[in-house]
Amino acid sequence: MKINNLDALRKSMADSLKVDCEVYRGIDGDQTLRIPSAELKRVVSFLVDQMDCRHLSTITAQQRVEDPDQIEVIYHFWHGISFSIMTMVSEELPRLPEIVSILPGADFYEREVAEMFGIEFVGREETPPLLLPDDWDQGPPFIRNEDHRE
Amino acid sequence: MNKISIPIGPQHPLLKEPLSMQIDISGEKVLGGSLRLGYVHRGIERLAEQRTYVQNVHLIERICGICSHIHTTTFCHAVERLLEIDVPQRAYYIRAMMCELERVHSHLLWLGIIAKHVGLDTIFMHTWHDRELALDIMEELSGGRVSHATNQIGGVRFDLTDHQEAMIRTTITDLSLRVNNLLDVIKNEPALQARTRGVAKVSPEMIHQYCVVGPVARASGVDVDFRRDDPLPPYDQLDFNVITHNDGDAWARTVIRAEEARESLILCERILNEMPDGPVHVRAPRRVPEGEVVIRSEAPRGELFYYLRSDGSDKPARLKIRTPTLAALSLLPKQLSSIQVADIPVVMAGIDLCIACADR
Repeated sequence: MKINNLDALRKSMADSLKVDCEVYRGIDGDQTLRIPSAELKRVVSFLVDQMDCRHLSTITAQQRVEDPDQIEVIYHFWHGISFSIMTMVSEELPRLPEIVSILPGADFYEREVAEMFGIEFVGREETPPLLLPDDWDQGPPFIRNEDHRE
Repeated sequence: MNKISIPIGPQHPLLKEPLSMQIDISGEKVLGGSLRLGYVHRGIERLAEQRTYVQNVHLIERICGICSHIHTTTFCHAVERLLEIDVPQRAYYIRAMMCELERVHSHLLWLGIIAKHVGLDTIFMHTWHDRELALDIMEELSGGRVSHATNQIGGVRFDLTDHQEAMIRTTITDLSLRVNNLLDVIKNEPALQARTRGVAKVSPEMIHQYCVVGPVARASGVDVDFRRDDPLPPYDQLDFNVITHNDGDAWARTVIRAEEARESLILCERILNEMPDGPVHVRAPRRVPEGEVVIRSEAPRGELFYYLRSDGSDKPARLKIRTPTLAALSLLPKQLSSIQVADIPVVMAGIDLCIACADR
């Protein structure tokens, strides 16, 4: 099975992992699957071990103005085609499973998302600051405050 | 023997850019290390959300002082994709030529640095002199040696005159001879080989685990080049060789950059020969329709990744930039373990660090 056949991939994940995912067609030049955040680690393990999809380009997090209570996190892979896993976490309790134990190259990307969006990566011992100063005390800079939600 | 931790940086003699390292050693052996970035973090992704697309071309050019052009090229491609405008072919070719010249001067700059770190100051002087020739062409075309301001959304800012084309051809011929000569010197220089062969070997498995890209990956036999694998125009119409080596050591990482510089000069000539006539830009709307796009390009150091989301206004709703140095840096602590203290500069420099890119 090729990764560019998203419908087949989605069905395979539903059969073997019992993960319910949906195809997201919003990103131009990219094949995207939206998955529940709790299943992230199992899905990434499946991609790395079963699909040999091992190149993680980066992790993008963002907060959409139309849905400010959620933080959208996108894991961008390259496997001959651009392929992404998209998941959502609540701003109230921003927690995601780590994937650095599966892909050590995710280390810096998780640390950046952790400090810029305040997401806790469960399973990691720590996410030391990557870009912000040690004495930064103004909260995650990318989280929209009340003034910017309008 | 006891473990000793040595803090190095953020200001240090290895690079002109700030990077803090904690290196653990026992005698002459390095046990491992950790890194701290952020000393030149400018918050460019956040700043981009507060500026218009037109202003952002200039902001993004300032991410890096070496590969500034590929950043604006990738950003403009992303915006143009969302705008669904037809950019003239000639503009794509001019962009590509600047990209290849940027690769040449970036690789020559790096070769000078590695030569200096192994004590070969003569090679350092020659490479940095030769690099000036590539910068001369870029200055002749754009007026700038560091920030070229070549790109605008919808094309490029200038066209080539006949006089400029003749100057480029003459300079490229001269530079090709110099790069070939440099490659001969590098391959036959016993001191360079003694300092780099077998040092800090990186296996293809490690490249995959740490998601490393660019010349570092290709020097370990991982055949990846986004000019060929996910080509932005006009690379889909250009024929060029992707250089790989299998040794994976500091030697392979040195030779591959000299060979890539030579290949890029050949490609420059091909671009000039195949460049179509016509306009070099079209007028682009200020507001960008709602949408999201992912764009990858091949910067001198490897895969450059841009994710852009527009909400229909004249400012990006989100711009994510991942530079190739950030991927390579995650491998560095692993590379440092088990080497000799004297090899630290060779290993550090071997990655071709660009901290301004990594910090953004």
